[in-house]
Amino acid sequence: MNEQLLGREPAPVGRNLAPRFVAFGVAIILAVSGLGLRLFQLQLAEGSTFAAYQVLELTSERQIPVARGLMYDRKGRLLVENVPTFVLRILPAELPLKDRFELAQRISELTGVKTRKVIERLDRHTGSQFELVRITDVDTRTARVIAEDPTLFPGVQVDLEARRKYAHGQLMSHVLGWTGRISGPEYQALKDDGYYPEDLLGKAGLEAAFEDVLRGTYGLEEVDLDREGHEVEAPVILRQPVPGNSLMLTIDTRVQKNAEKALKWAMDRIGVKRGTFLAMNPQNGQILAMVSLPAYDNNQFAQGISMSEYTKLLEDPSKPMLNVAINEQYPPGSTYKLVTATGALADGRISTTGRLRTEPFLEIGEWKYWEWNREGWGPLNIFDGFGHSSDTFFYQLAGRLGIDRLAYWAHQFGYGRPTGIDLPGEASGIVPSNEWKRRTKNEIYFTGELYQAGIGQGYNMSTPIQVLNSYAALANGGTLYKPQLVRKIVDPEGNLVERVQPEVVHELDVDRSVLRTMRAAARRVVTIRHTDNLVDLPIVVAGKSGTAEFGVRDKQGRLPFSNWFAAFVPKQARKTASDPTGTAAVRREDSDLVVLAYLDDTRTKGNVATEVVKYFLQLHYGLKVDLRNFDFLVRDNFYDRNS
Amino acid sequence: MSTLRLEPARVGTLTAREGEGRWYGFDLQLAIFALSLTVIGLLMAFTNSADDPFRPGSIFTRGLVWLALAAIVFVATAAADHHWLRTFAWPIFGISIALLVLTLVVGSGAGGVQRWVSVFGLQFQFSEVAKILLAVVLAHYLAIRAADISSLRTLIGAGFIVAPLLGLVLIQPDLGTSLVFGAVMLGALFFAGASLRWLALTVLGVVAMVPVAWQFILRDYQKQRLVAFLDPAADPLGSGYQLQQSQITVGSGGLFGRGLTNTLAGQNLPVGSTDFVFAHVGEQLGFLGGIVVLTLFALLIWRVLHVGWRSGDTFTLAFSGGIAGMLLFQMIVNVGMVLGVMPITGIPLPFVTYGGASLLSAALGLGILESLAMRRSRST
Repeated sequence: MNEQLLGREPAPVGRNLAPRFVAFGVAIILAVSGLGLRLFQLQLAEGSTFAAYQVLELTSERQIPVARGLMYDRKGRLLVENVPTFVLRILPAELPLKDRFELAQRISELTGVKTRKVIERLDRHTGSQFELVRITDVDTRTARVIAEDPTLFPGVQVDLEARRKYAHGQLMSHVLGWTGRISGPEYQALKDDGYYPEDLLGKAGLEAAFEDVLRGTYGLEEVDLDREGHEVEAPVILRQPVPGNSLMLTIDTRVQKNAEKALKWAMDRIGVKRGTFLAMNPQNGQILAMVSLPAYDNNQFAQGISMSEYTKLLEDPSKPMLNVAINEQYPPGSTYKLVTATGALADGRISTTGRLRTEPFLEIGEWKYWEWNREGWGPLNIFDGFGHSSDTFFYQLAGRLGIDRLAYWAHQFGYGRPTGIDLPGEASGIVPSNEWKRRTKNEIYFTGELYQAGIGQGYNMSTPIQVLNSYAALANGGTLYKPQLVRKIVDPEGNLVERVQPEVVHELDVDRSVLRTMRAAARRVVTIRHTDNLVDLPIVVAGKSGTAEFGVRDKQGRLPFSNWFAAFVPKQARKTASDPTGTAAVRREDSDLVVLAYLDDTRTKGNVATEVVKYFLQLHYGLKVDLRNFDFLVRDNFYDRNS
Repeated sequence: MSTLRLEPARVGTLTAREGEGRWYGFDLQLAIFALSLTVIGLLMAFTNSADDPFRPGSIFTRGLVWLALAAIVFVATAAADHHWLRTFAWPIFGISIALLVLTLVVGSGAGGVQRWVSVFGLQFQFSEVAKILLAVVLAHYLAIRAADISSLRTLIGAGFIVAPLLGLVLIQPDLGTSLVFGAVMLGALFFAGASLRWLALTVLGVVAMVPVAWQFILRDYQKQRLVAFLDPAADPLGSGYQLQQSQITVGSGGLFGRGLTNTLAGQNLPVGSTDFVFAHVGEQLGFLGGIVVLTLFALLIWRVLHVGWRSGDTFTLAFSGGIAGMLLFQMIVNVGMVLGVMPITGIPLPFVTYGGASLLSAALGLGILESLAMRRSRST
C-alpha cells in the first residue's frame, strides 16, 4: 500500500527515492549488526572481556606500601625524610557539574587555594574524566572536615600519603634527585614489579639510581570480594612487606655547603649562569661535594610541581634541571695538558730534562697556531711548559705523540666514556682519533687539529666529572676509580646491609715516576704564579687551570671562553718548615682531596675557577687569610691574559 | 512489518469529524520505540544513583523531571501545525545561531571549553536543540529548492546554512557535536533527493581535510583521545583508562547481565549514566539487553524515515532524513565509543543518555515528525 501511495504522489523532482530508502535501511542493519557483533565479542566470545572479568572478580590482589628508605650524608645527617601528608584526590567524573563551583568554593575556604585555581585544576586535566586531580599538603583540620562529611564533597577523597621532604632543597637537588608520580608508560613497564597506578618512583638523581634499594618490597595481600566489591574476609598476606633500605652518602653536607658558597660567590659577582664544583677523595673515588648551579628545589617536585612551573624549569635557558658536572660536556682546554704531558713522558717523546723552544706561534702552511701570550718563553722543560701552560710547547708534544697515542692516553685517564657515577644521564665526552674522524667526518686528521687536541680544544669534549677523575688518578699515583656517591646501605634500624666498596676502573698504564713528575709540574703551575697568589695560601695546592674557548668569534675575532681549575691537596695539607714549597708533599701519593671548579662562559679578566677553588680551600681549612682577587672577577673578554 | 499503528478503520468514528481527527495519523510506533529507550535510560539512572534514587536532585529524579518536560514538548509540538515552522524557518535559523553564540559567551564546561549554559540552575547544552532546528531550516531550504534539488547550487546553499552553526560548535570546541551537524545535513540532502555524485564528492572533500584538521583545529586533549582510541593500553591512567574501563564494564555483563543492582565494575565508571550509559546497559542487562537497545534504535530510525516515505513532500523527506541521519550517527559513535571501536567524543546516546537538553531536543524532533505525519494530507 505504501508503494502505491508513493507511486501516486511522485516525489517533487519526479525521481524515485526508493533505492535511497533501501540503501539507508541496509546502512542501519549493517551498523546495528556491526555493533552487535562487537558486543558479542566483548560479552560472549571465548576469551572475551567477560571471561577475563569473571576470573578477575573472584579474588583481588592488593599492594601493601612500605616506607621508602632515607638518605644521610657521610656524617649521618639526615638529607631526606618521609613526612605524612593529607592529599585530596578529586575524580572529576564523580563530581556533578552543577556542584562543581560550590565544591571548589568549599575546598578553597578550607585549603586557602583560590577558587579559581581549584576550578582550573579541575578543568585542566588532560581530557580524561578519570584522571585524578590532586591537591597535596592539606592540613589536618581540612582533611578531617572533608572526611567527616563526604556528601558535601562529592568525588573528593582524603588520603594519607608519605611525601619526601628534602632537608636542603637546592643545595643537593642534583645529587638526590626527586620522586614523582608514575607515568602511564612507566606504569606499563613496571607494573609487574609491584608498582601500582599513582605510585611514586625515583625520577632523578640518587632517588632514581637507587630506586630498587630505597623502595623496598611492597607487600602483597589477597582479598576475596563479593559481587558488591566488599571484602568477604580478612585479607591473606601473600608477601610480607619489606621496608626500603637507607643510603649513607659520601657527600659531606659541610663540604657541600662550602662548595656552594664559593661557587655562588663568584657566579653572582660576575653574573655567570652555570657552573659546577666537585670535591672527591682520590684514594677511593668518594664524592665529598657535588654542586651544580643553577639548581632547582626538589621539594617542589615532592609536593607535586605544576605543569607551568615544570615547563618554566625545562625552558629556562640556564637549564637548572641539568647537572653541569655530569650531564653536559665542554672543551676541557688546558686541563687536558695533563694527558698530553703524561703521554709524551710515558711514550718517551720528552724526558724530564728535555727542553722545547716556545715561540710566539707555530706555522703550518698559511695557518698560524699562537702561543696564548703571543710571545713565548724561549726554551722550557716539562715542568715550566706545564707551569706556564705554554700552548706552543704542547702543540709540539701533540705533534710528537700523534692523535692516536694522544687518544690512548686520554682513555687511560678516563676520558671519552662515562665515569660510571651512580647518577642517570651521564655524558661520555669526545676523545678524537683517526678512527673517530673517519667515522664521524669521513676525513683524515690534520696536523693543525692535532695541535688543537694537544691543548684540549678542537673536537675534544669532557664532562667536569671526567676532568676531576683524571686529576684524582694523578693525585693517587695512577688508579682510576669510579666516582661514588653512596658509602653504605643500611636497613631501617640502621644496621649495615652493605658497605659499598671502592671500584677500580683500571690502573693507568704508566710508570709511577711519570705521575710523580706530573704532580711536581702541577705544583709548579702554582709556585710559578701562573695562578697568581694561590701559592700564598698556607696550604699546599697543585693543579692546572684551563681557559676553554667555544662558540663563535665576536667582531674583534675573540671567542667566548669558560674557566676550569682542577687541583689536589696532599694529605699533609699545611705547608711545613721542612718543606716550604710543598715539593716533597706532592711527590707522595697520599692526597685525600681533589677539587674541580668549572664556570661556563665566564669571559673574565682572570681565571674565576681558580678564585673559586681558592675561596673553597680557605673555607674548607678554616684559613684566616683571604686571598681572593676581586679585580679578576671583571667581565670582559680578556682572553689572552690567562690560560 | 506488523504495526501497532492505530488503523483508520478502528478509529473511524474519530476521523469522521474532519479537522479534529488528525490524531489518527499519529505514529504510535515511533513514540513507543522512543519511550522504551527513554525508560531503559531512566532505569540505568535509577541503578546508578549513588545513594537514594528518590532523593531530590539525584540523577533519577531529575531524569523523571526531564521526562515529564520532554513529554509536554513532544505532545505540544505534535499538536501544533508544522506549517508555522516553515513560516518562521529563517527566524529559527537566527535563533539557533544566537543560542550558540550565547553558549560561547556565557558558557562553561570542562577543560577550557564552553558547552553548557545554566538555565534556572540546570545545565543546558544549546547545541543539542540547534541540531533539531538545523534540520527544520535545512528542510525548509530544500523544499524551496525542490525543483532544482539535484544541482550543485542547492548543495552549496545547504552548506552555507550548516557552516555557521557547525563552526560555532567547533570553536566551543565540540568536535563530536559538529560532526552530528554534518550527519543531519547529509541525511537531509540524501532524502531530499540531492545529487549523489556531489554528495559523494563533498564527503570525500571532508575526509581529505582530516590531516589539516589534525594539524590546526584539534586541541591537544582531542588528539590524546584519538590516540588513546587507537591504542588504549598505551596510557591506562590517561584517556585510555576510560576506554578500558568501559569495555571491562560491558564485558562483565555476559549474556543476561548482572541484574539491575550489581554495579561492581560500575564503580569504575561513574559517568555511566551519561555518555557511557550503554556500558551499564551491557553490564546490567547483558548481551540481550544491548541487542534490544540496538534493535529499538534500528526500528526507531526506520520509523522516522517512514514518516518521510509516506508523505513524499520534500520538507518532510528532508526533515525525517536529517533526524534519521542524526540518530544513526549518534548511535554508531556513542555505542561504538563504549565498545572501543570509536574514539571518545561527548556525543550522547539519544533518549538513553541522561541529559536534559538531549532528551528535550529529541522530543522536539519527534514531535515535529508526528505533526508532519498527522498533517500529511494538507501539506501536498
